Amino acid sequence: MLLRTKGKPINIEGHLVGKVTRNPDLLDENSFLLIDSFVSELPSKNFMGVLSRQDEYEVKNGENVVFKIPTLDHLTDGDIVSVGNDGNINTLYRVNSFHNTLLATERCNSNCLMCSQPPRDKNDIPIHYQIHKKLIPLIPKDCFELGISGGEPTLMGNLFFDLLSQIKAELPETEIHVLTNGRTFAWNHMAERLGELDYRRLMLGIPVYADYYQVHDYIVQAENAFYQTILGLHNLARYNQRLEVRVVLHKQSIPRLTRLAKYIYKNLPFVEHVTFMGLEFVGYAPHNIDKLWIDPFDYQNELGEAVEFLAGQGMHVSIYNTPLCILPENLWKYARKSISDWKNDYLPECATCTKLGECGGLFTWNLKKHSKHIHPFTS
Amino acid sequence: MQFQNEIKSNEVIVFADASLYSKDSIFKCLYWYGDKFHTNVSFADSGTYRVSLKPISTNQLSNLELELLLQKLERDLIDFNLRDIVTKETQNVRDLLIAKAFSNGEFDEMPPGNVSDPVGFNVNKVAND
Amino acid sequence: MIDAIPDKISRKFKEKDQFDLNRNSQYYLLPFRFHRLTDEKEIIVNEVGDYLILSNGTFESIVKRKLDKEKDKDLYGDLIANFFISEELIPPLIDVLATRYRTKKLFLNYFTGLHIFVISLRCEHTCHYCQVSRVTQNRDLYDMSLSNIDKGIDIMFKSPNPHVTMEFQGGEALLAFDHIKYAVEKAEQIAIEIGKGLTKVICTNLALINEEILEYCKEHDILISTSLDGPKYVHDKNRNKPNASSYELAIKGIELSRKLLGHDRVSALMTTTKLSLDYPTEIVEEYFNLGFQGIFLRNISPYGFALRTDTSKYETEKFLAFYKKALDRILEYNFSGYHFTEDLAKIFLTKILTPFNVGFVDLQSPAGLINGVIVFNYDGGVYATDESRMLAEQKDYTFKLGTLNDDYNDLFFGRKAQEIAQLWANEALTGCSECAFQQYCGADPVHNHATQGDMYGYRPNSDFCQKNMEIIRYLIELMESDSRIKRIFESWAKTATH
Ligand code: SF4
Ligand code: SF4
Repeated sequence: MLLRTKGKPINIEGHLVGKVTRNPDLLDENSFLLIDSFVSELPSKNFMGVLSRQDEYEVKNGENVVFKIPTLDHLTDGDIVSVGNDGNINTLYRVNSFHNTLLATERCNSNCLMCSQPPRDKNDIPIHYQIHKKLIPLIPKDCFELGISGGEPTLMGNLFFDLLSQIKAELPETEIHVLTNGRTFAWNHMAERLGELDYRRLMLGIPVYADYYQVHDYIVQAENAFYQTILGLHNLARYNQRLEVRVVLHKQSIPRLTRLAKYIYKNLPFVEHVTFMGLEFVGYAPHNIDKLWIDPFDYQNELGEAVEFLAGQGMHVSIYNTPLCILPENLWKYARKSISDWKNDYLPECATCTKLGECGGLFTWNLKKHSKHIHPFTS
Repeated sequence: MQFQNEIKSNEVIVFADASLYSKDSIFKCLYWYGDKFHTNVSFADSGTYRVSLKPISTNQLSNLELELLLQKLERDLIDFNLRDIVTKETQNVRDLLIAKAFSNGEFDEMPPGNVSDPVGFNVNKVAND
Repeated sequence: MIDAIPDKISRKFKEKDQFDLNRNSQYYLLPFRFHRLTDEKEIIVNEVGDYLILSNGTFESIVKRKLDKEKDKDLYGDLIANFFISEELIPPLIDVLATRYRTKKLFLNYFTGLHIFVISLRCEHTCHYCQVSRVTQNRDLYDMSLSNIDKGIDIMFKSPNPHVTMEFQGGEALLAFDHIKYAVEKAEQIAIEIGKGLTKVICTNLALINEEILEYCKEHDILISTSLDGPKYVHDKNRNKPNASSYELAIKGIELSRKLLGHDRVSALMTTTKLSLDYPTEIVEEYFNLGFQGIFLRNISPYGFALRTDTSKYETEKFLAFYKKALDRILEYNFSGYHFTEDLAKIFLTKILTPFNVGFVDLQSPAGLINGVIVFNYDGGVYATDESRMLAEQKDYTFKLGTLNDDYNDLFFGRKAQEIAQLWANEALTGCSECAFQQYCGADPVHNHATQGDMYGYRPNSDFCQKNMEIIRYLIELMESDSRIKRIFESWAKTATH
C-alpha cells in the first residue's frame, strides 16, 4: 500500500494538511482537488490547493500546487494528506481504514532488536506535532479507532499531553491506542499528568518481554528499561489508566515466556489485555534475524501454556500476527486478524486454504521469512 | 575442643558452634520440640552450645526413634539458623516494605537509570501541573 | 533543572552481558520463608505469597551465597524476578512489592462486613455436638428482642463497609421467623435510605421451611444456608431430631427452596464429626449428587461444649486423612470434567496462586475477628466471633466485647477489642513468624483460647497449626506433582476471587 508520493511543488509554504477530493463540489478551504488527467477550469472558490498528475501545470490564481505526481490512485475522497514544500505528499489518514495511526516521532529511548520502525536521532517532534494539530480537526468524528505510535510518543513531553487533550476534545467518540514503552511513566508526574486527562477511551499498549530484567533490557537494548516499564505500569494503574501488555515472540522472549505469563498475572493483574505477537520481518529484524528467529511452529507449547494460563485466570488474551495453520486448534479462539490492511498479505498456497477467511495471514514483509509449517487447510 | 553429637540413654544431645549458630535460631528451633520434650540449652565451652532433648513422657524411645530424632534435630538446627539469617538480614527491607505498603506513595523511590534518548529528552522538564 | 546531556550512544547493538546490572554477582536477600515440602523438594515463599519450588539444598545455597549467576542462570532469574533476592540493597521494584503487599491485606480497609444475629437460641433438634441450643417454648428468654434487633441494625449500619451482610442464626432461626421478618424489613428500609449494599442470609436446618417462608425469602431476596453432614446415616446420627429424620427434612427443604428461590440461592455447610471421618467419599458424593458446586470440608469447631463431648473428639491426624481422601474424590470429579470444588482448599489456593486475598474469617492475618465479623447474641451480648458466643454459653466471656447498649466505638475499639487486636497478626507470633505458610495461614486467637487456654497459642501442639500446615503443604505437593491438578486448582482459585 502506497502511503507517500511526490511531485513538483509550486507556491507551497511549510506543510499543508488537508482532505483530498476529486469532486469540485465538495471542495472547501480544508481540501485539495485531485486531478488525475486534464481539467480545463478550476472552481472559483477558496480551497487548499491542487494535487495533479499532469506533467505541466500553469498556475492561474496563485493556487498551491503539486504536479507531476506519478500516481494518485491510492487516494480516496476524504483521505487526509500533508503536502510539503518539497513536494512530498504523505497520507495521514485513510477514511476507509480501521487502522489509522499518527506517528508521534521517530525518536526513541530504546532500540529494540526487532524494532519495525527503527528510531532516528533527529528532533522531529515539533514538525510532527504541527502537522497533527492541523490533522486532528479534519478527522471524521465517527472515526472508530486511532493509533499513536513512534518511536516513543512520550518523548514529546508536554506536547504529548497537548496532543491527547486535543484528540479528546475533537474526537470524543474515538478509541485511542498509544504504543509506548512506558518507561517515562516510571516518573510519577508523567503518569499523574496522564491521569488528569481522565481519558477513558485511551488505552496504552506497553511491551514487556520477560520477567527478568536482563532479558528485557537486552531485547530493548536499554539499561534499566524493565524496571522503568514495570514501575511505569504501576504508576499508570495508580491513576486508573487502561493498559495492554504486548509481548513479541522470538528467540529471546520464548525461553521465559511461561514465567512472564505468571509474572503478569501476579504483578500486573490490573492490565486489561495481554497480546502475544509474532515477529515482523522488517526494520531491524532482518539485521538481527540470527538472534531472533525461531520458527513459530516451534514455540507453540510455550505460547499455549502462557495464553491458557492467563485466560484461565480470567485475563483477556489475544494472539496477533500468527497464521491459523501454525496455531494448535485450542488457541484459535485467541487469534485475531490484527494486521493492518495495508501491510497484510497471504502466501500463494493460501489461495486454496479453506480457512483463508478467518486467518489473519502474514505481514507483507513476512512473506520473505515465515514458518516452514504453513499449509492450507483442505476441509 | 571437639564435641560429638550423641544419644545418651533417653536423651539426644547436639553441639552447635556459637560462631555459626545464633542463639535465636536455637531457641526458635527448640520451640517446636517443647510439646513433647524437655529442652535444654547450655554452654559446653565458651564457643559451643550444648542442646539436648529428653522426652516428657516416661516411655522409653526406641533406638531407631532416637536416631531419627537426632537427625531431625541436627537438620532443624541448620534450617532454623538459615531462617534466622534471612530474618535478620532482611529486617530493614521488610520494615521499609510494610511502611511503604501502608503509605500512599509518598515514600516512593526515584526510578532507576535514565530515560533519555540520544537527542536529549529530559523527563524532569515535563511540567507537572 | 538542566537538560540531560545527550549520551553519545551509538545505536550499535550490544551483547546481553552488557545489560547485567550487577557484574560482580553480589546479591542481597529479601524477606522470604522456607519449608521442607517433601524429601526431595523445598519451598520458599516471599512476603506477598509467591512461591518457588526448589530441589533440596537450594535454600542453603541461596542464603550462603553459593549461587552462580551464570551456572544457575534460570534460578537466579527466578529469584530476582520473584522478589527473593535483589542486586541492590533496596530492590528497584520495592514500590511494586509494597503495592502487592497492600493488595494482599486489602480486607483491612473493609472493616466488618458480616453481622450475625443470633435471632433465637431455641431449637427443635438435639444434636449431640451442640449443647448451646435449648429446646424450650420460652421466647422471652431465648429469642432476640425487637429492641435488641433495632440496636443491632443500628450498629450494623455504622460499619464503614459499603456492603454489609446480615446473617440470621440460631438455635433454629426459623423458630423466630416473625422476628427475622421484622429485622429484614427494617434493615432494608435503612439500607435504601443510606445507600448501602445489604445481603440477607438465613441459616436453618430447614425442618420448619415451607412455601410461605420461601415466598417471603424470594420477595426479599434472602439466601438460605443449611446444614448437611453427608448421607442419611451420617447426617441423622449427627443431628438428632426426636421422632423424625433430620436428613429427610433437609433434603426436602433443599429441593423446595431451590424450586422456589433458584438453585444457587441455597447453600449447605457440613460439619465433620468423629462419625463422618469414616465416610469421606460418601459425603463428597452426597454433595455432588445433590447438585452442589462444591463442599466445604470443615473440621468440627472445638468451641463451647463440643470440645468436651467425647463422641465428637478426634485427632487432627484423622481429620487430615479424611480430608485427603475426600479431596481425592473431588479431584476425580474434576478429572472427568465437572467443576466441583473444596472450599477450604479454595481459600488457601486463592492465597497461594493469586495476587489477591479472600475474606474468610478463620484464616486471615490480621485475624478476621471484629474487623471481619461481629456477633449479636440473642440476649444482647456482642461477641467477636460465632465461636466466642459459644464460649460464653459455658460462662467464658473472654471474647464478649460488650452489649448492644454500648457505644459503637466502645465495642469496636474498646479495651477488649484492643487486647485481642494485639494477637491479630501471625507475623508476630512465635512459630508463625518464620513459617513459610504464614501468608497463606492466619491467626485465630479465639481458637487458641478455646483449645489451649490462651489467645497467643502454642503452635507445636495446636490443631489449627497442624491442620493448616499439612493441608497447605499437601495442596502444593499435589499440584507440583501433577499439572492436571495444578490447572484444576488454578481454576478454583480464580472462582474464589470473582
Ligand atoms: S494456509 Fe494461509 S490462509 Fe490458511 S491458515 Fe495458513 S496462513 Fe492462513
Ligand atoms: S499456625 Fe502454623 S501453619 Fe499457620 S502460620 Fe502459624 S506456624 Fe504456620
